[in-house]
Amino acid sequence: MQKKLMALLLCLAMTAALFVGCGKTDDKKDEVKATVFWYEESDVYLSSVRTALNKELEAAGIKYDNQFAGNDQAKQIDQIKTAIAGGTNLLIVNIVTSGAPDTAQDIIDAAGDIPVIFFNRAIGTDGSDVKVLKDNETACFIGTDAPEAGHMQGKMIGDYIVANFATVDKNGDGVISYAMMKGQEGNVEAEYRTQYGVEDANAILKAAGKAELKYFDANNKDCYQVDQDGAWSAKAAKEYMETNFVTYNEASNNMIELVICNNDGMAEGVVAALQDKGYNKDGGHVVPVFGVDATENAVALINEGAMIGTVKQDAEGMAAAIANTAKAIAGGSTPVAALAGLKDDRFSVAKDCDSKLFVAYAPYTK
Amino acid sequence: MTNPLKKIKQVSADYKLLDARDKKRFWTDGILNNALYILMAIFVIYTASVRPNFLTLGSFANLITQVAAYLPMALGIAGCIVLTGTDLSAGRISGLTAAFAAVMLQKTDFANKMFQSLPKVTLGWILLVMLGVVLVGAIIGLVNGYFVAKFSLHPFIVTLSTQLITYGIILWFFGLNGNNGQPFSGLSKEYKEFVGGELFRLGNVAVPKYVLYAVLLVALMWFIWNKTSFGKNMFAVGSNAEAAKVSGVNVFWTTVLVHTLAGAMYGYAGFVEGVRSGSVAATTGLNAECDAIAACVIGGVSFVGGTGSISGIILGVFILRIIFVALTMLGVDSSSLYIIKGAIILCACALDMRKYLVKK
Repeated sequence: MQKKLMALLLCLAMTAALFVGCGKTDDKKDEVKATVFWYEESDVYLSSVRTALNKELEAAGIKYDNQFAGNDQAKQIDQIKTAIAGGTNLLIVNIVTSGAPDTAQDIIDAAGDIPVIFFNRAIGTDGSDVKVLKDNETACFIGTDAPEAGHMQGKMIGDYIVANFATVDKNGDGVISYAMMKGQEGNVEAEYRTQYGVEDANAILKAAGKAELKYFDANNKDCYQVDQDGAWSAKAAKEYMETNFVTYNEASNNMIELVICNNDGMAEGVVAALQDKGYNKDGGHVVPVFGVDATENAVALINEGAMIGTVKQDAEGMAAAIANTAKAIAGGSTPVAALAGLKDDRFSVAKDCDSKLFVAYAPYTK
Repeated sequence: MTNPLKKIKQVSADYKLLDARDKKRFWTDGILNNALYILMAIFVIYTASVRPNFLTLGSFANLITQVAAYLPMALGIAGCIVLTGTDLSAGRISGLTAAFAAVMLQKTDFANKMFQSLPKVTLGWILLVMLGVVLVGAIIGLVNGYFVAKFSLHPFIVTLSTQLITYGIILWFFGLNGNNGQPFSGLSKEYKEFVGGELFRLGNVAVPKYVLYAVLLVALMWFIWNKTSFGKNMFAVGSNAEAAKVSGVNVFWTTVLVHTLAGAMYGYAGFVEGVRSGSVAATTGLNAECDAIAACVIGGVSFVGGTGSISGIILGVFILRIIFVALTMLGVDSSSLYIIKGAIILCACALDMRKYLVKK
């Protein structure tokens, strides 16, 4: 009884307050208040972008806050609408569903004339994002050229194997058997890295007169193992490797001789699994492991010799590009002009669209 | 639903008859039993004072839009909780039905269309697809209910299993026709209009049509819960299955139907979800059941079984969404949102159980 009564009073109070509040005006109009929307809170690479971005935005004097969508696109859209209702006037969005330009369009529609800076997670594959960006002059994208990381990783792998073929070919059968750890199904970056990491390496091997890489498990037609939760996690990679070792090991003479990972998080998991088996440490045999991102942990592992290489996703560069664009937009510039105004050799405006900025990758080895 | 004014008079009359000690208890009990609502009121007032935007019509439109999106799943899952069970498969079922609805209702001229030979998207086809996905949800719910009722398995185990199986089907479905796990987008205008089209405007924010559908669903569920023998049987089975059986309630069919009805609701939730996100990915619906269960529990649908009301569920969903909206507007990093949500669920359950402990 009382509960219902209280609930009723609460509702009445809220409704009353609602109408009282109607007359009030908004916060100071000219103040820029940015909200940064992240697809997920625990992504390692994005955490380093966040650290850098927080610093950059503070330095630029832009008020901001961070919102995490927990890998849930509908939740992110709710967050965006709510932030707009709350007076945010600059959206910086790390979209959850990458590769769906319609979702990006929905976000832009919800934003109205508020500028939207998309970053990191691509809003479309194979140029399908160009239309959305060209149609909406309030929006821009700051990210990386998704295939580039895959190409760079593939080249690094190819070069390394050609130089160290005998050591890498543990069972001496003249063929390198590899495992591939994919971060997520359907993610643009993951797709390209999974494809080019192997294709480009094979091209180099072929040119050097060596046999192409062979996926370690002939029954797996996909030729990769994917994090079922789509979280690009070390945990998933470690568990896959532990399971793989049961059948594929040195005793059976079919040990996995190379592991390619979509990101450094997964590479760390693989290294941990290898180290449990006595590899990749203390002068033991090193199974080459490659990642992407150059997270602090991965760089440390590479310096120790437990991991071979990674592709540096420039977190500071990304953060600087976003913050400088935000600053220019806050100063009244359009996104296109803001991107064009970024004078830094870490960035380049995309060839197919002038509201798309790429932050360059760089290979990282010991 | 008696006259609230009469009730206040009644309570105050009763209050005058109490002695000093009972009067004190009246207040402490009153405060403890309503602690959640009192805290919410303080929270709302605080937010409103810091962010005047919180109390605008546009903000209210945003709030009810979100409530309408989260309600169907909560309404469905509540039945399972009334039976002292739970349902972990809710989110994945809605993810699967969202995917089905999306591919059936893609634009005719969309380049990456999953199935090329589908009829043109008309109102009839949309309704047919909606019925279809509701049916898919209901069938999975039926499987849940059958295993719970037939083998006396705990719903936690049964729905955990169907959650995994459903996710497997989702992943398989996303890999069909060379789609390679890509999200489904290119939803047709007609579908978007049917679900998310503007109903009316509040402030400068459009209220979508699914708010109206949510109201209709609430009416339907209220009728089922309160005015049908099935609803009464559900509460009887929830409070004491043995006693219900002895008094002639068909426990098997009641359990099966509660889960089937829940599944149908998740099916509908999926139908709306695709339009809300603009596209459907394999992760759509992930963990959605957590919010639904939390809303029910906060709204007084007890895991003890046999208690709960539709109005409570609506209140629970409202409270969760108010917290979400307020914290997002306050610009609180969402890490603390999880902590606050967790604390509130814990408090709500503890306060709820306290009532039962006092009664005993």
